[in-house]
Amino acid sequence: MKKYVQTMQYWEEITTNTNNYIIVITGLGGQGLIRFLRILGSSLVKKGYKVITSEKHGLSQRGGNVTCFLRFGEKMVAPIPIIGSADMIIATEKACILDVLEYAKLDRSSKLIVATYEKKSQINDYPSEEYLLKVLNEISDYINFIPVMEIVAKFTNLKIINTIILGYILRFLPISEEFINESINQHFAGDLLVLNQKAFEEGRDLK
Amino acid sequence: MRMEYLKILKGKSGGELFLLGNAAIARGALESGINVYTYYPGTPSSEVGEIFTILFKEAGLNWVESSVNEKIAIEVAGAAYARGAKAMVGMKNVGLNVASDAFFALATTHPKNKNSAIVVLVADDPQQYSSAVEMDSRYYLKLLKIPALEPSNPQECLDYTKSAFEISRELKIPVILRLVTMVAHARSNVKLGEIIQPEIDESFDLSPEVNVASRLYFLDLKQDQIYNRMNRALIISENSSLNRVEFENESNNFNLGIITSGVSYSYVIEALEFFNIKAPILKLGFINPLPERRIVAFLKQFKKVFVVEENDAYIETEVLAIAQKNCVQTKILGKDPFSYSKESSLLNFVGELNPTEIALALMKITNLTPKINLNQIKDKRYETVRRRPVLCPGCPYGTIGYALKKAVKKLKSDLGKEIYFYQDIGCYTLLSFPPYSFANVKYCMGSSIALAQGVAHTDDSLNIAIIGDGTFFHSGIPALLNGIHNKAPILVLILDNGWIGMTGQQHHPGSDPRYYQEGSFKKQIDLGKFLQGTGANISIIKHQKRIEGKYSDRLSDLIYEKGHSVLEKRDIHVIVIEDECTQKYIQRNTLEVRYIDGGQCTNCGICYTQFYCPALNEKDDRAQINSNECLGCGICEEICPNNAILGGDNNEY
Ligand SMILES: Cc1ncc(C[n+]2csc(CCOP(=O)(O)OP(=O)(O)O)c2C)c(N)n1
Ligand code: SF4
Ligand code: SF4
Repeated sequence: MKKYVQTMQYWEEITTNTNNYIIVITGLGGQGLIRFLRILGSSLVKKGYKVITSEKHGLSQRGGNVTCFLRFGEKMVAPIPIIGSADMIIATEKACILDVLEYAKLDRSSKLIVATYEKKSQINDYPSEEYLLKVLNEISDYINFIPVMEIVAKFTNLKIINTIILGYILRFLPISEEFINESINQHFAGDLLVLNQKAFEEGRDLK
Repeated sequence: MRMEYLKILKGKSGGELFLLGNAAIARGALESGINVYTYYPGTPSSEVGEIFTILFKEAGLNWVESSVNEKIAIEVAGAAYARGAKAMVGMKNVGLNVASDAFFALATTHPKNKNSAIVVLVADDPQQYSSAVEMDSRYYLKLLKIPALEPSNPQECLDYTKSAFEISRELKIPVILRLVTMVAHARSNVKLGEIIQPEIDESFDLSPEVNVASRLYFLDLKQDQIYNRMNRALIISENSSLNRVEFENESNNFNLGIITSGVSYSYVIEALEFFNIKAPILKLGFINPLPERRIVAFLKQFKKVFVVEENDAYIETEVLAIAQKNCVQTKILGKDPFSYSKESSLLNFVGELNPTEIALALMKITNLTPKINLNQIKDKRYETVRRRPVLCPGCPYGTIGYALKKAVKKLKSDLGKEIYFYQDIGCYTLLSFPPYSFANVKYCMGSSIALAQGVAHTDDSLNIAIIGDGTFFHSGIPALLNGIHNKAPILVLILDNGWIGMTGQQHHPGSDPRYYQEGSFKKQIDLGKFLQGTGANISIIKHQKRIEGKYSDRLSDLIYEKGHSVLEKRDIHVIVIEDECTQKYIQRNTLEVRYIDGGQCTNCGICYTQFYCPALNEKDDRAQINSNECLGCGICEEICPNNAILGGDNNEY
């Protein structure tokens, strides 16, 4: 499992050569993925990128799987990317990552960001740790498990998983912290704002 | 959301906002000087209505309402249009079916007022992410004979809304703005224009000869609609920049051109880039009437033209006819709509389209080998977790399902008869799944009560209709009157949770006006009194703790007793179950999270197998409450036979 930080030069290449960076985000209805898209998307817009986000949801507002896309670059593109093209795939619930692996690049270069939160279904079909690791290792060289549950326990709030991840992926994105902070300030108020600011910092400071 | 929505009004002309397609539509309407917005909520169209509800007074509109159903929404807005307003109506795909009767008359009328314009927003939902059926509303355009525009991204949502208002105002004909989920719920950079203050002409003309659909005037109006107004719409379509050829000077080795519209356009670009091939694309923003002349000119340049669209082959069928009429030899590729054959169809009629499906189709057309093996990726299968949508923690329907199940078990053994369930559309539809499984027949909003009648009149089984309060007001009332009048031996359960839960807790006529923003302007309809007025046998039960024993037992006993009496008296009985949607309830109340007393829990499993709450599970051989998810409704505490669920000492709910 390699970890690396992107340089600004990398970003210039990405946005001039391919015109487009593709993030797939998956998780469960009710986890606040739409807000995640809004915060990250508006930060990138402020930086001058063309951004498009979209969501496949519906009944999944309660407990079903949700898949979202966020794409940014120099020009406006389709709300859904082609399979095998995602630069980054984020799962805010662990096993959800298995739902969207078709978007991973065949050259194993997609970054997988997986929260360690587990939500079992009513039937006993949660995949084993070994199976998950085996599959993910086949797919990518860049697997990042985010130990969100430790942070969740600290703040006793399950709704901050997205914000922790937002803090974590900051290292890979071509924007500085201020842009995201500003968006977080616009999307939360009061106690929730303080909580999410802290969660963001926890994610940012993860190794 | 209020702050977020205010931005739509406050955003400066020339500025840029990161907007949802639906929000861009609201802005486009404000930039057109909209006077009236009426709607009925339905995903993926609801946000537009929510935005106007918030902006109503501040934006200076004359009227905004969430109507009782789509037919009423279009009638309210339609008459405002006749009177000289710029009106807009919003609904989801199936809402158009409900509105269609009134729409036919509206489409033909020809008001004289200068300002009059009406735009009807219809949001389709390919893949039925949040609909009971997948339905392509574009064939309505042929039935209604009205112009329609289809945007492909949030910026076009704004621009096309303005064009739609302009066209309607000029031609005095309703214009449909057709959306799909991937556009309504996409969010991207949107450049803003100037907002126009709404104005209505002080003097207006409601002449019968242009506004009355009757034999006296209708046929003349219809002549005018087709040969005058639609003819002029065609001229606009032929000359409009909304229909345009992109990449006009590009060419490829396959002599291939592409015709597409809406979000499919962006998918086509994606798929072409994937193969690194270039092709001219005729992008149709005007989806009715289609620009025949420009389609012919486009077709003639190519040996093959691929028509790319989602769901029905609406454009393709038209293009085939246009080619035949104009003796164009170009091969037209697409879904081969007359064959009903999956093999000869390059794209599926069913489900949502995406760039990958178009790339696979291009592979067949061009015989190119893609740089990555798409089929290999698609064929890979993983062990995924199958999750069903679930009720919220603390949802009143969990208790109702539990009580109903108990009552039904007893009734079955007493009566020795079958019991059937008729479901309706709302959160309670989830009671169709285990552990409850209450569904035998289900159609569309408002149908449960009549469905139950159909079986009850032909069988001696017990037939139970389950309908939410929102749906009851929307379209359940006529079916109930039919049942009362015909003495249908059915049991009707009206689940009165006070709100339209499913689409985001909007209000309906029975909602408590203290708890929604525009409530102070509204009158609440008392469901109980309303039902009493019908003369039907009714019972009303409220969720109140600590009176006359357990609520779930009282509910179960009531259902049991009335189930008996329906079959004995061979007459209808209505039970209203009042228990508020938890999502609304917790906005005003703090509840206490429950926990399991490990010493008391015998792991009987009643709370997590016979009752359903997403916060309750089995773990380490006993029941477990996930404290992050429990909302503290307390109903599990009541259901537990061992008093093992604790934590709600001060709870009044
Ligand atoms: C004709 C039509 N319009 C709108 C919708 C969208 N929709 C789905 S369920 C629902 C209302 C549900 O309200 P209610 O019956 O009170 O049930 P609840 O969700 O509160 O349980 C609506 C408006 C629809 N399915 N069909
Ligand atoms: S929104 Fe309300 S009615 Fe719907 S599942 Fe949640 S609590 Fe129940
Ligand atoms: S109190 Fe019980 S039924 Fe209510 S939300 Fe909590 S765990 Fe679920």
